[in-house]
Amino acid sequence: MLGAGAALACELPGGPAQTIRSPTHSVVYRAAPRLGEHFAVEFAVCPAPEGVRVDAWMPAHRHGMNYVPAVKALGGGRYRAEGLLFHMPGEWEFVFVLRAHGATQRLVRGLRVE
Amino acid sequence: MKRWLALLLAAATQAAAFTDEEVRAIAAHGPWPPAFAPDPSNRASGSKDAIELGERLFFERRLSANGAVSCSRCHIPERNWTDGEARAIGLARVDRNTMSVTNVRVQRWFGWDGANDSLWAQSLRPLLDAREMGVDASRIAKFVRQHADLACRYRRVFGAMPSEDEAVMVGVAKALAAFQETLSSGRTAFDEFRDALVKGDAAGIAAYPEDAKRGLRFFVGKGSCNVCHVGPAFTNGEFHDTGIPFFIEQGRVDPGRHAGIQKLRASEFNLLGRYNDDARRSTATGTTHVRLEHRNFGEFRTPSLRNLALSAPYMHNGSRETLRDVLDHYSTVSPDRLHADGEAILRALNLTARETDDLVAFLETLSDGGATYRRRPSAADCR
Repeated sequence: MLGAGAALACELPGGPAQTIRSPTHSVVYRAAPRLGEHFAVEFAVCPAPEGVRVDAWMPAHRHGMNYVPAVKALGGGRYRAEGLLFHMPGEWEFVFVLRAHGATQRLVRGLRVE
Repeated sequence: MKRWLALLLAAATQAAAFTDEEVRAIAAHGPWPPAFAPDPSNRASGSKDAIELGERLFFERRLSANGAVSCSRCHIPERNWTDGEARAIGLARVDRNTMSVTNVRVQRWFGWDGANDSLWAQSLRPLLDAREMGVDASRIAKFVRQHADLACRYRRVFGAMPSEDEAVMVGVAKALAAFQETLSSGRTAFDEFRDALVKGDAAGIAAYPEDAKRGLRFFVGKGSCNVCHVGPAFTNGEFHDTGIPFFIEQGRVDPGRHAGIQKLRASEFNLLGRYNDDARRSTATGTTHVRLEHRNFGEFRTPSLRNLALSAPYMHNGSRETLRDVLDHYSTVSPDRLHADGEAILRALNLTARETDDLVAFLETLSDGGATYRRRPSAADCR
């Protein structure tokens, strides 16, 4: 059983980052999205999951991105997702979908894009 | 009495002022024009020789099956590089309205369905379409090779003439793209206002008409028009179902973006292919990651609103003759008619007569007056 202590140890070297926590996992990510431009998300997941997917969603509009990000594992629980693009201004949500121990969970964080 | 008058004037000024949020939204529509950045997928991009070659090719009617149709048949300089027709007419009538090539260089996708990911690949489409110019690689290559001046200019841009017809044709498309990259609209009354607002220049702000200000406030506020018509070119460059019917005629529909993505992926001329001059594929991210979904059926690209007043008729099928017709559509559109799989962007704007007038006044300030293009004087033949 994984405790919260393991999740809290998550780090992403290289500067300020955002953290999302669930009872079992932490995601620490860094992204600088600009409206209408492709961008990448660097992130770490602790403890390392069996699988991870990244997407984004505009809840008020009930649609996502027009692009499917590709996630590359960099080792040590670190990843890079490429190919994201926010094509509308407004409220978006980053969605990290983790697969671990036969279960899937979504860690979500909202952001405003102008 | 004087104090009351001063308070009233201050209140009126406050009411007319834009909020910080509105100012940020308005500022996002500039600055204009954007700096030129060469297209790395096209080694001819920005080249003076390529622009001159491309200009000659653009007006060259012999690049069509009957020798009578040039690119400028539909992209007419005096009509903001479109044709005034509801649906374009080349060798035959096609299914969609002619998009202007003004500011085309700032787009991410090309055509109403985004079936091409570069301006040079898009320039091939009308050449090869049997209803537009109706030629093939063999005919294009033969014409260029046999035309002494064009062949000389081609070699000047690309070096030796390729032995493969298809490679010659792609060079022609890249020269056409280099020329079209030069077609930019100029500064507008809106741009002067936008820059004045950003700088806090009271005189510049005051010079912008009040009805246009009200229309702009509606555009970035109650109307949320800037959800799709955003950025310096007033487009997010993506695709939406706006409730315009996609039936072309009895038994025929226009699938829009859904087919566009499939064509893109199947094209040997996309940015993942061998004709991309950029080994790093730095502009191919969209092509690599584009998502095909059921909702793409009936979606069409958000057009730029710059020089909109010069671009009638409107929508992908040219079914709206005037700006007021377009606004009437958005005023009364029914979300039930959309093919959006639950997407919730469009709603009827229920515009009042004054709101319509104000929006028209604002949209008209996005035009530069047109007619800035002057064809380059004919230079001496290349030898």
